Amino acid sequence: MGAGPILSMQALSKRFGDVVAVDSVTLDIEDGEFFTIVGPSGSGKSTLVRILAGLEQPTAGQVMLRDGDITNVPANQRPTCMVFQSLALFTHKSVGENIEFAAKMKGVAKAERKQQALETMDVVRLPQDYYDRSVTQCSGGERQRVALARALASDPEILFFDEPLSAMDYRLRKILEVEMKDLHRRTGKTFIYITHSLEEAMVMSDRIAIMRAGRIVQAGTPNDIYRQPSSRFVAEFMGEVNTFSVEGGRIRELGATAAGVDDGYLVVRPEYLRHLGDGDEADVRFSAAVDNDYMLGSRTQFHLSVDDQVLIAELPAAAAAGLTIGERREWGFDLADTAHVPE
Amino acid sequence: MSDTVQTARRTKNAQALWLIAVLLMLYIPIVSVALASLTNTRYMQFPHKVWTLDAYRNALADYTTTTLHLTSLKIAVVVVVLSVVIATLGALAFARYEWKGRSFFRRAVLLPVFFPQPVLGLALLLSFTAAGITPSWQTAAFAHLVWIVPIVTLVISIRLYGYDVMQEEAAFDLGANRLQVFREVTLPALAPGIVSGALFAFLLSWSNLPLSIFTTGADTTLPEWLYSRASTNYSPLVPAIAMIATLASALVIAAAAALWVLLSRKSAPRQAS
Repeated sequence: MGAGPILSMQALSKRFGDVVAVDSVTLDIEDGEFFTIVGPSGSGKSTLVRILAGLEQPTAGQVMLRDGDITNVPANQRPTCMVFQSLALFTHKSVGENIEFAAKMKGVAKAERKQQALETMDVVRLPQDYYDRSVTQCSGGERQRVALARALASDPEILFFDEPLSAMDYRLRKILEVEMKDLHRRTGKTFIYITHSLEEAMVMSDRIAIMRAGRIVQAGTPNDIYRQPSSRFVAEFMGEVNTFSVEGGRIRELGATAAGVDDGYLVVRPEYLRHLGDGDEADVRFSAAVDNDYMLGSRTQFHLSVDDQVLIAELPAAAAAGLTIGERREWGFDLADTAHVPE
Repeated sequence: MSDTVQTARRTKNAQALWLIAVLLMLYIPIVSVALASLTNTRYMQFPHKVWTLDAYRNALADYTTTTLHLTSLKIAVVVVVLSVVIATLGALAFARYEWKGRSFFRRAVLLPVFFPQPVLGLALLLSFTAAGITPSWQTAAFAHLVWIVPIVTLVISIRLYGYDVMQEEAAFDLGANRLQVFREVTLPALAPGIVSGALFAFLLSWSNLPLSIFTTGADTTLPEWLYSRASTNYSPLVPAIAMIATLASALVIAAAAALWVLLSRKSAPRQAS
């Protein structure tokens, strides 16, 4: 495969009347990558992926597949395929007919189609005796696999996923996340995945882009985004964090000094807050009362209060043992464990 | 203990009686028509003094029987074909696409159903006359369409609301062109609605009296003939032709049902046992 990106978005915008759904998005997707676009509902991520699939026309900008401009190529002529949120299985067709659909449209003979379908069913681990079954008789997880197989059988260069797991219950979602990642590795195809769950994105993706109000606010590996979020929005989107505002070397919420920190915000993850014993050192120290504790398994989460600000701390069982609710103690964290964001 | 058993048994018996009563109410009239056709007297009396199939022999020998059936059949076939096409397009237009005036169209298209049929028939007759059109079976077919298209539109649109439109997008994304999307996804999804719509259209047209009376002109449909011969000049020929007409429509429906079963068995996936 070539060295360049397989798919390139150049200043893509989409307006619906006065609403700007996608606002000048420029992004490159590498060949064979599992790329996830994450954002809250209404952030424009679905519209963006529909433009990439050819189901929606951009108002401005270009979509390049390798070196070719495909901006005006309709969905049925793009070498891409979408797995929809509702799965959009053909309810009046059998599992086999669903999977063979793309081949049938190309005019492939029945016997060859069936052979391909059975092979694809193996790839997604769908038992072969499901071939003649009606899709309405399949369970949620099986339907998911039929949708995957149908998309894969069209042999696309890029597969799009528009939140296909969002309607599943937690357990099934966890299983399918792992299967999806595994499937990506085995097929070597480029996956572009849409979700509102950063947790889901973290588990599966090679790279993540975070979208807000039609714009990409940050793109990078899960590790990059986790360690160095570019804004409070990204940091808070990733889950429970503590955000403090810094002005003139002081942390306003804690009334504590933060030597050498520029004005802006400090983001501290719950696992980096620790309570300080005698002689323990920390870059930032403050005193806080323990309000509540929540057992999370190997760790315990504590809600702390400083004035009317609630902080979240997570401690391993051993460190949590000494703490009691209502107790006021010294707490602290090190600046090396924080992320600084300007806004 | 035995009290409750007895009460349960009594309830069960009462239910059975009720069911039988309802069935009798529904079918006795049809049975009486059949019985009335099996004699040779002009006065309905039971039991018959003479049991005979003469009325049927006369009916089959009579040229009128064929003409009546052909007229009604011509109208019904035209109504079925046109109403299914118009209603499918109309249902797609109001259930699927967003356009200005959509909600007005949805109401306007249903309005003729609420018109009393004789009023509608009279209105159409006046319009035909004003337009210089001589009423015939064609104008009657038009009149039937005015009343039947809204009903068929409703029947088909129920199917449209019931399925995931994304299927069409998925088909398009998988390489189908517009025609293939319609043939592979939209049409099969609508098929049950189209079949029931067509049956409705056939039966409503086949049995329509109030619109036909005003709009057939010189042509005569089965219900018209039955009505006029039952009021004047009654003979067992009337119930005989009524039975033949019932049988004919039953045959049409049976044929449609058989075709439907055959088609869906061919195309539908096998249901796991």
